[in-house]
Amino acid sequence: MNIIWMLVWIIVLFCVVMLHVAYATYFERKIIGRMQVRIGPMRVGWYGLLQPIADGVKSFFKEDIVPERADKSVFLAAPIICLVAMMTSLAVLPFAKGWVLADIDIGLLFVFAMSALASYGVVLAGWSSNSKYSFLGGLRSMAQVISYEIAMGMSLVGVMLMAGSLNLSEIVEAQGDSFLGMYLMPQCIGFFVFFISMLAETNRVPFDLPEAETELVSGYSTEYSGMRYAIFFMAEYIGMMVMASIGTICFLGGWNGPFPVPFFPPLWFVLKVYLFMFIFIWIRATLPRYRYDQLMGLGWKLLIPVALANIVLTACVKAVIG
Amino acid sequence: MQIQYKPPRGLLATLFQAEIVQGMALTLKRLFSKPITRQYPDEKPDIRVGFRGQHALVRDPETGDTKCIGCMRCAISCPSRCIRIRSHKDKEPGSRRVIDCYRIEALRCVYCGFCEEVCPVNALVLTEVFEYSSYDRPSLYFTKEQLLGNWDRFVAQLKVPVDEYVNPYWRPRGVSEAGLPAGKRKKVSPEWSGEQQVVGRKWRQQQSRRNTSEQEGS
Repeated sequence: MNIIWMLVWIIVLFCVVMLHVAYATYFERKIIGRMQVRIGPMRVGWYGLLQPIADGVKSFFKEDIVPERADKSVFLAAPIICLVAMMTSLAVLPFAKGWVLADIDIGLLFVFAMSALASYGVVLAGWSSNSKYSFLGGLRSMAQVISYEIAMGMSLVGVMLMAGSLNLSEIVEAQGDSFLGMYLMPQCIGFFVFFISMLAETNRVPFDLPEAETELVSGYSTEYSGMRYAIFFMAEYIGMMVMASIGTICFLGGWNGPFPVPFFPPLWFVLKVYLFMFIFIWIRATLPRYRYDQLMGLGWKLLIPVALANIVLTACVKAVIG
Repeated sequence: MQIQYKPPRGLLATLFQAEIVQGMALTLKRLFSKPITRQYPDEKPDIRVGFRGQHALVRDPETGDTKCIGCMRCAISCPSRCIRIRSHKDKEPGSRRVIDCYRIEALRCVYCGFCEEVCPVNALVLTEVFEYSSYDRPSLYFTKEQLLGNWDRFVAQLKVPVDEYVNPYWRPRGVSEAGLPAGKRKKVSPEWSGEQQVVGRKWRQQQSRRNTSEQEGS
């Protein structure tokens, strides 16, 4: 019985997240359109509201092309690795008190592991496509993940020190429900580092080097078409959601808000995640892409030292006060 | 020319990424501005006088045929060589040239309007019709009959009577009244004749100035 309930919850979560992903693309296109003084999708449904569904149907029925010289099995597996890794990390996210599929004690570590695994999908896609653009995209993705994973992990060490736990629910509870209890204030340096590495981790502008449309013809996904391309896209948006959720949980106090909402406890969580998503899109509408060496320089010469300093500072303060 | 260098930014500006914040503020401001998109099939663009669109041969109300006299000036002046004319003249003295064939390949046309400018009898016109795309090529190789038909269709949707219609290009700009052939001494609005003609940005500025003064007047 317990397993059946679990499966039902998994299916519900999957559907809700997929719907959110679909409408995140709509949200993005609309907002970027408005920021560029356009109006974005308008033709499918009322104000283009059915556009994501039309896109889904279109990509589902498109021809699935596998290049002749590609490493076929890896080529077919890569998008699935990407999507599965991203979706798995959804299991440990607490959407509200008790609203979590797997309340495991190494939650934060698990999310890191999964987001690092997802970049395997990207690297393998770049490798197996047997095309120079995809290959360059894969290489860039590898280098980017290695340098930014470190900075991101270190930026969250401060949070772990303060909360004294890796369990995501406990991290939220440690912050309390007051505005000042959020780790955003004491961990502002950590948040800064986390935010930048979050952008890099999800391959978003200004760190979208692996897919760089203008130079690499959308990089690792050049050779993909139809549903497999859509799967990469979904993985990217789920990755954005997961990273936004981690940011919300670790720095913005998770599901806690100014007042509790009676029937829908995750409301504050969802609002905060959407705030993050909006900032993602806002940045995409504003900033140009980083140069490759600048990206590496920023990661290794600025973010990692700053994150290290933050750990030392947090540990000292905790030792003195606590 | 004086080169303006950016002032060096201070420590605080570097620390808080002042330029990025400025850029973000700009995009946020644009988010709340009114989009300039025109949703074409629902909202038609306003076509200005002198728009160069679909070709037509003016139908002469007296003969019911084209006004063309077969002088070949349009075919000669055409940069893309898309006009083809064949004509013959009867043996009797004083008879007009008869046009056997007048063809325009609309797909090759560059819409420069030289043909209508150079025509001494205002027989040819680039109308303001712009929606005439087609799924096949042959329907865009206009024959004489098709070109006359284009004119009829254009006249049917015209708001002013046919005799009052004047295409600005029928009167070459910057040429004095005396230098024009008789047929081209048409009255066009001052902004299209001689020195006073205004186009492009200047026209828009004038228009907006006129609008604001009207609003102040009313």
